[in-house]
Amino acid sequence: MAESAVSVAAAALVVAGWELAARAGIIAPQFLPSPSRVVIALWTMLTEQNLVWHVVVSTTRVWIAFLLAAAMAIPIGIMMSSYRIVGAALEPMIDFIRYLPVPALVPLSIIWFGVGEETKIFLLWLGTFFQLVLLVADDMRRVPQEFVEVARTVGASSRQVMTDVALRWMGPTLIDNLRITLGWCWTYLIIAEIVAADSGIGYVIWTARRFVKTPEVMAGVVVIGLIGLVTDQLLRLFHRRLFRYL
Amino acid sequence: MASGYIQFVDTAKCFGPVDVVRKTDLGLDRNSLVVFLGPSGCGKTTLMRMVGGLDEPSSGSILVGGERVVGPDRRRGMVFQSYSSFPWLTVEKNIAFGMRYRKDIGAAEKAERMRHYLELFGLADFAGSYPNRISGGMRQRVAIARTLAAGSDVLLMDEPFGALDALTRERLQVELRQIQIREEKTVIFVTHDVEEAVFLADRIILFSRRPASVVADIDVAAQLGPQRPLEIRETQKFFELRNKILHLIRNQTGVVA
Repeated sequence: MAESAVSVAAAALVVAGWELAARAGIIAPQFLPSPSRVVIALWTMLTEQNLVWHVVVSTTRVWIAFLLAAAMAIPIGIMMSSYRIVGAALEPMIDFIRYLPVPALVPLSIIWFGVGEETKIFLLWLGTFFQLVLLVADDMRRVPQEFVEVARTVGASSRQVMTDVALRWMGPTLIDNLRITLGWCWTYLIIAEIVAADSGIGYVIWTARRFVKTPEVMAGVVVIGLIGLVTDQLLRLFHRRLFRYL
Repeated sequence: MASGYIQFVDTAKCFGPVDVVRKTDLGLDRNSLVVFLGPSGCGKTTLMRMVGGLDEPSSGSILVGGERVVGPDRRRGMVFQSYSSFPWLTVEKNIAFGMRYRKDIGAAEKAERMRHYLELFGLADFAGSYPNRISGGMRQRVAIARTLAAGSDVLLMDEPFGALDALTRERLQVELRQIQIREEKTVIFVTHDVEEAVFLADRIILFSRRPASVVADIDVAAQLGPQRPLEIRETQKFFELRNKILHLIRNQTGVVA
């Protein structure tokens, strides 16, 4: 309780300082508008510019790409650790791609997928899948050998060792890794949505920038931050509920 | 060829170019507690793991009850040094895990066994607790109970009390000995602690440094009898036996265990 009070107080202090700095005219408003002006811009965007729809569009894109990445990364990551040959085949390639900056692949993505939804999903997937698959493979490798051997000596088959021991053991770290990579997925959203998009928070921010509507740019950024915060807290709650034994 | 319930028939093991266990010919009696004693990393654990089917002999074979060991089997259960109770399962479910894959016994029998082992190990009050809420000693009791509940006839214990404090360790040693006699189990117990070995064992097999080979075979039961109350640790016979083994270790294996 005391901790959340400190969190709120610290955030309030930063906002208050920001408001004061802006009002005192230390920084020109086109560079740093006051928080109150950002809030007003946010209100206008909500009531007159259909911001909710843009948020829904962006959230959908992020979750489609993220779920796609997770659905592929979890089984492939597990296979990479369970079968040495799969690991040997995939790990160097994945490591290589993992270090490619997503923006560098935007032109290629447009050549492949055009400028529609596919490109956006692909870019978000790209930023998530290759990170997650290695995290899953690492988790799988860390399943204690004793647990596996205990299960085998009480008659578990390989499949039962996987479902009843390995996956159960990985559960908490897996959910943590999903939470973290979901965050990364959001960070690629802007890059994906400035590519010839006509919807989404990224598009809103990019358009506002063109007319130097700094309060609206900041409002867009704040919205992404808030969505991130809420999602993260929900996943943490889910984690606590699911793994009461921790 | 040595006779016995568990037979090592010219069993040897190497990992690549490293010899871990020299050709061993050894027979262990049923319903006895045999301690494998030797310096750390000498290969005694590997020898025991091969009985469990978790490692394969490089040459020779192992027979249990006349049957050749080809892989893990619930009749030969392992208890490890680290606390190997599953953290996501309660004490009760951890013990039940031992019976989880058995289709030959019904739910009623499983429940009955559960009651029996919860009672036997004094775990009834902790049935609903998760392992991180109970002490290290309790966790090792859970691990032993799980193995017994699985219907293991042979218990393979790899320094199971190594991580416990002295008092807990002593209590568990007494309990283990009592349970081994009562439940008529065959136990192979690996340790490098001489006191523990003498207190627990019917028979001690002393191993050399790696590659492990049998240095001495000591019939402890003949000298201390089957029952092991704590007081036995203070008797002259116990000291003599302990000192004899310590000498053997210094002279034969070239190191202090």
